[in-house]
Amino acid sequence: MQNSSGMSDDGASKQGRSSVFIVSARKRKLQKISQKSGEATLFLIASFVAIVVLFIFWFVARDAVPFFRLQGFQEFFTSSGWYPADDPPRFGALAIIYGSLMVTVGSALIAVPMGIIASICLSDVLPFTVRQYVKPVIEMLAAIPSVAYGFFALVVFAPLLQNSGGPILMWAWWIIAAPFLLLLVIVVSDLLTAPLAKESMKKTAHIGVGMLFGAVALVLLYFVGNQLHGLEIMSGTNALNVSIILSFMALPTIVSVSEDALQAVGRELREGSYALGATRAETIVKTVLPAASSGILAAVILGIMRALGETMVVWMASGNSSHIPDPFFNYLDSVRTLTATIAGDMGEADQVTGSARFHVLFAMGLILLVVSFVSNLISERIVVRQRKILSGQ
Amino acid sequence: MNLGTRKLLDRSFTALGIGSIVIMGLALLVVLFPIVTKGVGAVVFKGTIEHRKLLFTEFHHGAARELEKEVALSSNYRQKAFDMLASFDKELEQMPPERQDQYRDSYEQVKAALRALLGPLPGEEQPELARFRFGQTRWDKAEEKLHNLLYEQKWDYSNPDVIAKPYDVSRAASFAGTSLVRLFPYVEENIDKMMLPEWTFYWGFITDNSLDAHFFGGIWPEIQGTIFLAIGAMVFAFPLGVIAAVYFTEYARDGFLTSMLRSANSTLAGVPSIVFGLFGLAFFINTLHVSESKSVLAGSLTLAIMILPTIIRASEEAILSVPKTYKEASLGLGSTKWNTIVTVILPAAMPGILTGGVISLGRAAGETAPIIFTAAVSVGAAIGLGDVLSSPTPALSWNIYNLASEHEAAAEIRHVQYGMVLALVTVVLLLNLSAIILRARISKKLKG
Repeated sequence: MQNSSGMSDDGASKQGRSSVFIVSARKRKLQKISQKSGEATLFLIASFVAIVVLFIFWFVARDAVPFFRLQGFQEFFTSSGWYPADDPPRFGALAIIYGSLMVTVGSALIAVPMGIIASICLSDVLPFTVRQYVKPVIEMLAAIPSVAYGFFALVVFAPLLQNSGGPILMWAWWIIAAPFLLLLVIVVSDLLTAPLAKESMKKTAHIGVGMLFGAVALVLLYFVGNQLHGLEIMSGTNALNVSIILSFMALPTIVSVSEDALQAVGRELREGSYALGATRAETIVKTVLPAASSGILAAVILGIMRALGETMVVWMASGNSSHIPDPFFNYLDSVRTLTATIAGDMGEADQVTGSARFHVLFAMGLILLVVSFVSNLISERIVVRQRKILSGQ
Repeated sequence: MNLGTRKLLDRSFTALGIGSIVIMGLALLVVLFPIVTKGVGAVVFKGTIEHRKLLFTEFHHGAARELEKEVALSSNYRQKAFDMLASFDKELEQMPPERQDQYRDSYEQVKAALRALLGPLPGEEQPELARFRFGQTRWDKAEEKLHNLLYEQKWDYSNPDVIAKPYDVSRAASFAGTSLVRLFPYVEENIDKMMLPEWTFYWGFITDNSLDAHFFGGIWPEIQGTIFLAIGAMVFAFPLGVIAAVYFTEYARDGFLTSMLRSANSTLAGVPSIVFGLFGLAFFINTLHVSESKSVLAGSLTLAIMILPTIIRASEEAILSVPKTYKEASLGLGSTKWNTIVTVILPAAMPGILTGGVISLGRAAGETAPIIFTAAVSVGAAIGLGDVLSSPTPALSWNIYNLASEHEAAAEIRHVQYGMVLALVTVVLLLNLSAIILRARISKKLKG
């Protein structure tokens, strides 16, 4: 009896244990299924971004295609006659595309050198404590809404440029060019007199050549400054105004991305260069910059895209006249860009019937989208390659 | 190259770097300085009696009795000026017709200038628009209008080679020999008694509705619209972004699919903002028909798509910066992966995620291009919370553009524009500043 009861006890407990085991197996299966399905849900949500990108391409292209079907490609890309309201309408976007290009190039000319130099300064020159205060400044520059920049460009900067643009440009030329020219004179005279053998002769020759070049530089400074001072600016809302403002909007992107690229170049390269007796400037220019060049290129591409895609500043302060400036590099002329045309013409375009006037704006959007997509891909590839090369070393 | 030159080059290289950073700082100051100084002028200014009249009749601020006293005081002085006009009217009637013609135009100009300064003249009917019902509400504007009354602006075309220059001609001189001559020195001397300027803190600028296309009143509808749009965008984008970031950091395996998703993310981050606007119009409004036409909902959805990549990136960074030991400890105690994520990783990463969220909130509040076609209207009253699904709204960013570039009297309402810009910039910069402070705290904490 005892035995049997003991047996049955044992059996019951065994059964109980095994049933626990069975339950937990089912549970684990359930858990696995729920985990898988949870992961799948997460994946779906994460792939939402990709879906959105596809949708953006699809829907912008869908409304852009009718334009090319109605009007063809040729006029859009080769003519600069933009008369969408005429009968028959003319949709020559060449001047508008050129305007976009012009302000982008103009802002890049200012933002790229300044941004690269500032990022070098941030990563290699400034001590950590100072850097902590500089970074928020750059972030603030990036955070100010574009419409506030546009307002500044239109209400403060444009009248200033119009009323006293000449003197401003002259002072800017003097302040920027004078130190550079001085440095150039010193370096050139040093290089020219370096081959001379005799020490005493070298010194006098150095001073003589320096004074000669210095005089040339002074004349240059004076004449160019005088020319700039005499400039009459018909309208303050022009390509120069927009380029300057856009360059400050593109700067934060360029600085932060290229600073990352510079940081990625290890200490070893820098220390190796210092050990060979190079100064800091030589180390940076000859060693660090070449090593980080692809990352900096990516930064420049991103910064330029920021300027090309900007809407409010160019809409408010570029003058919005659709013509190619004469001569073509005349930055004091007003221009019109793709983004500003999209923003400005949508109000007059007929959405309901979907006329060519409506679809042409989507065609412009498609151009912007494709350009931004391609340049993004390029910059991404560049960054990935640089990371591989640096980690490979 | 000799050593001295090399050293000089090195120094000047450093100077160049510091110089360009200083220029960036200066640019920030140069942009912010006029916005802050003149923007404050929208709230703190010398308000005239007209301002207090306006506030009382249109917004029911202020005390009736004091206002009556002030109005009585100022109309004492105004009446004398009006009497002068009346006596000149009589004088004009008695003049021979050719002399009447000589004065008529410039007399009308004088009356218009006086009307602009003091409001409708006695005996005239009340105009429809508020801007004509009241005189100048701000003392700085009143001084401008006084100048217009005293001097006539003419243009100097004498030199055909340069742009014509304006010059002032005294109106008193053109009325020499008539009784109206007395009016000009009288108004000039007694203008402050007619207008009774005193320093005013007009907090209503933030909380009042606008009146007559922003000639008077505040910017509450715009502020509210901006809040609705930005918060709406966050409601859609924040949960999605955080979940996507969790997937990218905890679940995604390195492979073609993941790298494509990452590419998509950076592509989305690089799309020009105006293209988001086009997409919002083509997809949310013309295809999905989330609303009849522009609406807060459509704008919020468009903005949400725009800020999604920023949120994902910031959240990813925050999650990755959580020390690995946290995760290992939790997994070692037998907790499941999902449980670990929800109870350990996300709480630890939350400050960093919030930092990204706050920055995105600022970006959504400041962007204009995506809401032009999807949500923004130029004029309109503040909408209720119930209307967000169907009705468009004014918003700070759009109305700054609209008032500065398209308003029929943009130069007359500069103070309102500056006030709006200051409101927007303050909101955005405060959000960013709090993000910066939050981040500094986190990095301190992580350092231990």
